[in-house]
Amino acid sequence: MTDISADLLALITTLKMAAVTTVILLIIGTPMAWYLAKWQSRFKVFFEAVVALPLVLPPTVLGFYLLLAFSPTSLPGQLWQSATGSQLAFSFSAIVIGSVLYSLPFVVQPLQKAFEQLGEHHLEAAAMLGAGPIDRFFSVVLPLTKASFITATALGFAHTVGEFGVVLMIGGNIPGETRVLSIALFDHVEAFNYANAHLLSAGLLMASLLLLSLVYLLGNNFNKKQQGAEKL
Amino acid sequence: MNANKSSDISDEQLTVEQPKSAAPSTLALAFKLTFSHLEISIKQNISISAITGIYGDSGSGKSSLLRVIAGLELRAKGQISLNGTALQDSDNKGFIKAEKRQIGLVFQDSRLFPHLSVYQNLAYGAKRQINRQLTIEKVLALTQLDQLQHQNVTLLSGGEKQRVSIARALLAEPKLLLLDEPFSALDKSTKSQMLTILKAIQQQLQLPMLYVSHSLSELQYIANQLVVFSAGKIIQVAPIHQAIHQLNSRGETSPKTSLSLTIAEHLPDYGLTRLTLPATKSKSHNIYLPILEQSNSQRLIGQQLPCIIYARDISINKTKPEHSSIVNHLPASISVIQYNKTNALVTLKTSEQEFYAQISLWSAKRMALTTQSKVYIQFKANAVHSYYFTEPTPNA
Repeated sequence: MTDISADLLALITTLKMAAVTTVILLIIGTPMAWYLAKWQSRFKVFFEAVVALPLVLPPTVLGFYLLLAFSPTSLPGQLWQSATGSQLAFSFSAIVIGSVLYSLPFVVQPLQKAFEQLGEHHLEAAAMLGAGPIDRFFSVVLPLTKASFITATALGFAHTVGEFGVVLMIGGNIPGETRVLSIALFDHVEAFNYANAHLLSAGLLMASLLLLSLVYLLGNNFNKKQQGAEKL
Repeated sequence: MNANKSSDISDEQLTVEQPKSAAPSTLALAFKLTFSHLEISIKQNISISAITGIYGDSGSGKSSLLRVIAGLELRAKGQISLNGTALQDSDNKGFIKAEKRQIGLVFQDSRLFPHLSVYQNLAYGAKRQINRQLTIEKVLALTQLDQLQHQNVTLLSGGEKQRVSIARALLAEPKLLLLDEPFSALDKSTKSQMLTILKAIQQQLQLPMLYVSHSLSELQYIANQLVVFSAGKIIQVAPIHQAIHQLNSRGETSPKTSLSLTIAEHLPDYGLTRLTLPATKSKSHNIYLPILEQSNSQRLIGQQLPCIIYARDISINKTKPEHSSIVNHLPASISVIQYNKTNALVTLKTSEQEFYAQISLWSAKRMALTTQSKVYIQFKANAVHSYYFTEPTPNA
């Protein structure tokens, strides 16, 4: 396999991992953010701290504990194996689970903040007009927090693309399964293949910059609209 | 209640003049709601035939009462029912959710959906209704919003926002409409326009309403019954004029006479409108106020106009004041003289109508006023106040 086609495979694996992770993050992160925003309890800070942990923890720490948990000798690893018939550690599923935990704060925090700012006012108005809770979420909450959903999606995706330590610990370096761009880059550097390393690095840098610029652009436009809305 | 939603409301009836009668709605309240600074404890049945006003100081719990009825205060404990249907029964863990109660609530701060246009805001409530009797077009006409239906709601003025808010609530076809100080942020002329529109809507749709305000003059214009609220308790439920007169003796508000007068004729040459107060079967007293309409329009003739005359604006004469610039003078007999620290509040009767006059202690002594004395009361046309707006009829 040439370096270029190997890198392409790594790119596809990376995008697949990031896409699957982002979808899962939105599905589990939205209700988590909702409960954290509405919950009024002393224990809330503890759960907020747990969600924020990946922001400060070295990824290798998270990876190490996940590796232990995923191994066929531990209970989660055994349950996975009996349910799916394959080993969890060093699989695509493992790096997705790792990424979900690692990128959780990047999705939950912007959503939680948006839900807190939205408050109860418009939700109460919707209830008085006959809208039930699910209806209210899709007809009021989602459109009014659209910008935060875009931010959360973009940050979750971008952060997952850029992750290294967790994947290295629990995924290893299996082409087409767990070999993602950041690991491919590390391989190139170790092999003194700087030309390919430059290509990947510059590519990742530009893509991340573009994505973030787009997010801030959308965020700014939406904030201007929201300032008008606050007068209501 | 189903009779109220009769489908025979046609555009020809879009006038204020012919109110249809409907059986009053009964709201049975027995609940407690505790805050750190206030305990709201209410046990009261309220019969609502048109608009019932809820009056009280800010922080007395008026808004919370509406939120409990609406189903937005989950901490309230007790029983609440509307026309015999239980909305909440804490003993049996019964609680109908806000979205299932068929009760409308117009908030002080509009709470329009900023991502939707005026029309879409109205459609929001209408779409979620199974038995639709009202069309969006009809409600747009009732609230005079036809021209604004495609507007972005964030660009509307305060009065327009509240009209959208009312229209949106009407389209959810509630059995009871709650209004929480809906016009308190508006200037006086917009407010009187809104009050007139709201009153016309109430008469047109025969929808019972609970209207919360801390402004007694606003409530006097719009409500036919008043619930007085103080420190979390209902202290009085009475017909509007009677309730206001009872507040006079409590000394918390500036004493005033509250009465409804019949509009008799406009006198453009004199700049006055003549109103009548029934005296005997065949005779009535005339009361004049600054002209309501410059034209000779017959539209308002025969209608009842709620008016307020402050006690400080009424004076007492022992003889008929025939040579005065003051246009209003009526014979009266004194029924009560209440001496206060700095003045005397005199209650007088003309026919069956009570009037209140506030005079100095000195005048009371000098004139040697006693109960049963036959006197004349007089007040300027300008002293007769009413929330009246010159374009009350919605353009159908």
